[in-house]
Amino acid sequence: MKIINYREIEGRSSGFLILLAILGLLALLGLGSAHYMEEHGHVVTGMTNQIVWGIPHVFAVFLIVAASGALNVASIGSVFGKSFYKPLAPLSALLAIGLLGGGLTVLMLDLGRPDRVIVAATHYNFKSVFAWNVFLYSGFFGAVAIYIWTMMDKTVSSYTKPAGYLAFVVRLLLTTGTGSIFGFLVARQFYDSALLAPMFIIMSFSYGLAIYLGVLMASYKWTNRPLGDAVINRLKNLLGVFIAAVLLLVTIFHMTNLYFTKHHGVEAFILLNGGIYTSLFWLGQIILGSLVPLVLLYAPGISKSRSAIAFACGLVILGGLSQMYVTIIGGQAYPLVLFPGYQESSSFFDGVVHNYSPSLPETLLGLGGMAIAGIIVTLGLKVLRFLPLSLADSVADPHAK
Amino acid sequence: MNQSRRDFLRALPAITAGAAIAPSAAFAATAEPGSETKHRWAMVVDVRKCIGCQACTVSCIMENAVPENSFRTIVSTYEVHDDTRTGTYMLPRLCNHCANPPCIPVCPVGATFQRKDGVVVVDGDRCVGCAYCVQACPYDARFINHDTGKADKCTFCAHRVDAGLLPACVETCVGGARIFGDIDDPDSAVRHLIDENKLKVLKPEMGTQPHVFYLGLDERFQGRVEGQGTLWQPSKHGA
Repeated sequence: MKIINYREIEGRSSGFLILLAILGLLALLGLGSAHYMEEHGHVVTGMTNQIVWGIPHVFAVFLIVAASGALNVASIGSVFGKSFYKPLAPLSALLAIGLLGGGLTVLMLDLGRPDRVIVAATHYNFKSVFAWNVFLYSGFFGAVAIYIWTMMDKTVSSYTKPAGYLAFVVRLLLTTGTGSIFGFLVARQFYDSALLAPMFIIMSFSYGLAIYLGVLMASYKWTNRPLGDAVINRLKNLLGVFIAAVLLLVTIFHMTNLYFTKHHGVEAFILLNGGIYTSLFWLGQIILGSLVPLVLLYAPGISKSRSAIAFACGLVILGGLSQMYVTIIGGQAYPLVLFPGYQESSSFFDGVVHNYSPSLPETLLGLGGMAIAGIIVTLGLKVLRFLPLSLADSVADPHAK
Repeated sequence: MNQSRRDFLRALPAITAGAAIAPSAAFAATAEPGSETKHRWAMVVDVRKCIGCQACTVSCIMENAVPENSFRTIVSTYEVHDDTRTGTYMLPRLCNHCANPPCIPVCPVGATFQRKDGVVVVDGDRCVGCAYCVQACPYDARFINHDTGKADKCTFCAHRVDAGLLPACVETCVGGARIFGDIDDPDSAVRHLIDENKLKVLKPEMGTQPHVFYLGLDERFQGRVEGQGTLWQPSKHGA
């Protein structure tokens, strides 16, 4: 492999400014929505007494999980010693920071009392998985920041490998912690599973790599830098493996649930008769989010097409959001079973599927979080040397002739 | 004044130490209200006496300024179906003030805690409104208060109980279906009812050890999994 030169993107084109303007507008709309919800209370959201985590949580958890997965490309280089991936590592780390920043912004602004975030930062109940996650999030920021520093500063470059190991361990813990937030909720039939932690780890691989590959292709196309097929093909093949792994874990998760009689109701709700949740599961998560991307990535004739690969990445992201929607909101929409083995309905919403319609402010808050992640990455690429000048096959591929 | 500057300086460490200790002592006194008592509050709900009038629901809303469409206590009127029959039952519900409450360990900031008298309460100054406790409660007894943005739930009307009064729902119950008292007091009505009757709790399989007990509760409401001999038998239940 030849010497890799990293350069900031120029960031003066009208396209760059338009991109920043769109992201900035979305971020402002998101922040404005958060302010509106703070002023008027949660009553202006679609959230209810039964569905207390709504569309902002879907975006937030997706971004946090994807942040962990975006770092995976860097980890393959530093932890598993694959030199091919080392030029890709700085962007991987920047994306991890950006996505986590966007996700945490949404999460904090959607607290019932976002003004008290300082309380969450100064009081800890270590029996709570939520409290662990506060440390895991800040730890991830710190570990990735150190990792970036060791990659970009020649004087400390000898520490890149241990810093990469540290970031890898923290990212695994972070996704385990995020999955465990749901896994420990034994009161909810759809969450109560130890499989959620490993499933979230695999999901992070898929979401993170889809975002990484999409950003990489867009960055190189918009900056007219060469990006060879070797990099694209390796990453898209890896993405296909991760998509298949998610499908496998999802199958195991549902089959395991179906083994327990007490989960039959909620499984029937998600898989068969849950309306929007069933549609999102089969159409959004499985077909559009998994099977179609697999076809696009592997089918002879189209698998080499950059457009097809970019489309597949977009579908994986949409599938991931669908999966989060089904998991987070579908899991709450299914009523708590107070009397197992019986159907129940009452004058106070027991035994009925709870309705949830995302309101505009909370949707804008979620989109604002994605925009904030985009701004962090876009500005990061402009001010620091995250992107190699060239990832042409002759530069990136050690086997190139 | 005879006190010299030297005397004052000698006394300064004691003064500052006292000043440092005083607030924490005061905090300790207020942090766990009910800690000075030896009570363990509990409630027995005699469902045979409940007429479903919702007087308890309304009085709770009035007493605790519960926002619209939210409830700290309710009387659910259930239609329960099995394969062939349908029955209607009324079930007053509220926070169970469990001995092993699943809402407390999940709170990331320790805002939810249990007083020494067993009442599970939320420290409103500390709650950040993350709603994790709402998710963790197997009884659907919590909600996010739309007005305050904080977790909200039944407190057994702790402010009234501390003042020697009964919870609002108990005081207003038309049929006298709600009986409140100290489970540790051998002379209390609650203790007598527990000793003399076979009381039931909701979802005992969750291991939460609820302290809201039900008298006359249909066997099906005990919450066992299907297939353990608790199937509804209409003839047995007067249908």
